[in-house]
Amino acid sequence: MITVKELEHLATLSRIKLSEEDKKSLIKEFDSILAYVDQLKKVPVKMDAEGRVGAVKNVMRPDVVESVSPEDRERLLDEAPDREGDFIAVKKIIAQD
Amino acid sequence: MKIDLHNLTIKKAHDHLMAGDFTSVELTQAYLDVIAKKNKDINAYLQVFDDALEAAKKADVKIAEIRNKKSKIEDQGSMLLGIPCATKDNILIKGKIASSSSKILEDYHATYNATVISKLEKEGAIFLGRTNMDEFAMGGSTENSAYGVTKNPFDLKRVAGGSSGGSAASVAMDGSLFALGSDTGGSIRQPASFCGVVGLKPTYGAVSRYGVMAMGSSLDQIGPLTKTVTDAEIVFNAIRGKDIKDGTTVDEHRGQAFATRLPRPGLLSAKPIIGVPRHFLGGDGINKDVLKSFESALTLFKEKGYEIRDIQLPNISYALMVYYIVMPAEVSANMARFDGVRFGLHVDGKNGIDDYFETRRAGLGREVIRRILLGTYVLSSGYYDAYYNRANAVRRMITDDFLKAFQDVDLVATPTAPSPAFNIGEKTDDPVAMYLEDIFTVTANITGMPAVSIPCGSVGVLPIGLQLTARHGDETALFSAGKDFLNEQ
Repeated sequence: MITVKELEHLATLSRIKLSEEDKKSLIKEFDSILAYVDQLKKVPVKMDAEGRVGAVKNVMRPDVVESVSPEDRERLLDEAPDREGDFIAVKKIIAQD
Repeated sequence: MKIDLHNLTIKKAHDHLMAGDFTSVELTQAYLDVIAKKNKDINAYLQVFDDALEAAKKADVKIAEIRNKKSKIEDQGSMLLGIPCATKDNILIKGKIASSSSKILEDYHATYNATVISKLEKEGAIFLGRTNMDEFAMGGSTENSAYGVTKNPFDLKRVAGGSSGGSAASVAMDGSLFALGSDTGGSIRQPASFCGVVGLKPTYGAVSRYGVMAMGSSLDQIGPLTKTVTDAEIVFNAIRGKDIKDGTTVDEHRGQAFATRLPRPGLLSAKPIIGVPRHFLGGDGINKDVLKSFESALTLFKEKGYEIRDIQLPNISYALMVYYIVMPAEVSANMARFDGVRFGLHVDGKNGIDDYFETRRAGLGREVIRRILLGTYVLSSGYYDAYYNRANAVRRMITDDFLKAFQDVDLVATPTAPSPAFNIGEKTDDPVAMYLEDIFTVTANITGMPAVSIPCGSVGVLPIGLQLTARHGDETALFSAGKDFLNEQ
């Protein structure tokens, strides 16, 4: 039901590297899962029905900055795999020429 | 006095602590001794915290203060003061590792407390350690942990259930007096069923998820695993409540008002009614002993003055399909945060983009990758209407079915899981077989209603659980029926 090309596209979208072996088993698993959930297509539904859960409503808050203590800032930065001073370091994105 | 951990409950331990029969330090040490003895075989805990005894010492100081002020009868201290507990590895405790049993967070130290942790800390509970789970709570057997499977304390060849398998096993092996878990499709209730303990998934919005790693945000709830229903109620009351940091939380009074406002024509009498969707219990996949034990449970309820009534939930058989569309969709969005840049594992690639591919490949397990891809698929253009929108529409229909049923009954009963604990490795090669484990539990996450699993029998040594579901905000009905059933009154 799902092609290798489709699976590769999904993997690119979700930033996951797949080996050839992964692809083979994933296609098999996808087929059995999709065959199962596809039964839902037989259910007569009003498609304008809104998906809601429980007693939930929108919650708003003022758009203001909350300060973080220097210790917490340090803790947060320390979790980054690579940092330079108070910045999180990443590879250069734009080439020079 | 010698502490009988096996028969200890939160309530009993509280009374003993307040009477001075033993101290929190002694109690905590008793649990640490059990963990030291049993954890190498069962693997319930990923880590035992080295500051548990320190926290117990502080609790003992508070207990002594309260004991010295004997004139103030009303001040008995929190029920959880000095009570040792375990927490699932996806719940943040400031300064401690929280890995969600994943390689991608192997060395991640939480930078703040989850709201449930702050609440328990304020009550004076003692954190013994973090418990094993399926990676990012994705699974029903704790076999998807990057740190080895958790074994069932009743039979080491079998799984403890999942995803909160470590939490359930910690309580069952007398390695904690209670534990916190998370439940997205049954991850508290199914392991509770497999390990013979009580597991509560509260109403969606009853307990804050702030500081708990999100899996399926419209489904996730945090709840307790305990030995008794009374204990589950104690922990629930300690962790519930509106939290500005989780916009989905509702005020507890609003929840209760919502529950009592619902019409129940003709049954305001004292005789509670339990609805049973018998049309949903006849499938081949359901173990005969589980059904037998379920029927005996219903008989016991009848003897206790409950009425048992057949109900129709016309769309309930679609609940698991809805779940396996909505959940992966939300997983694929929630897992996007693991980029190897801001926290967690980083694996170097050829360039910035390639870093993502290498990091996620190295850090995430098979089931997590499968669900991310599946979620990306059902959300992609061209499939969105056929899968995600349709699933949400059916989700609403299922919720409406339940709301309608609750006009005539107070509770809905089913088995918690279709079978007792299965063998390790039995279902790992067949994702759909593993997903079918959730057949009875997902509905409460789909509808947002509260549900509890309580022990109701066994097959040989293996425990079986009974699941009760109630209206939104009506945990009280679950506690009341659960206590009746287990003779806790």
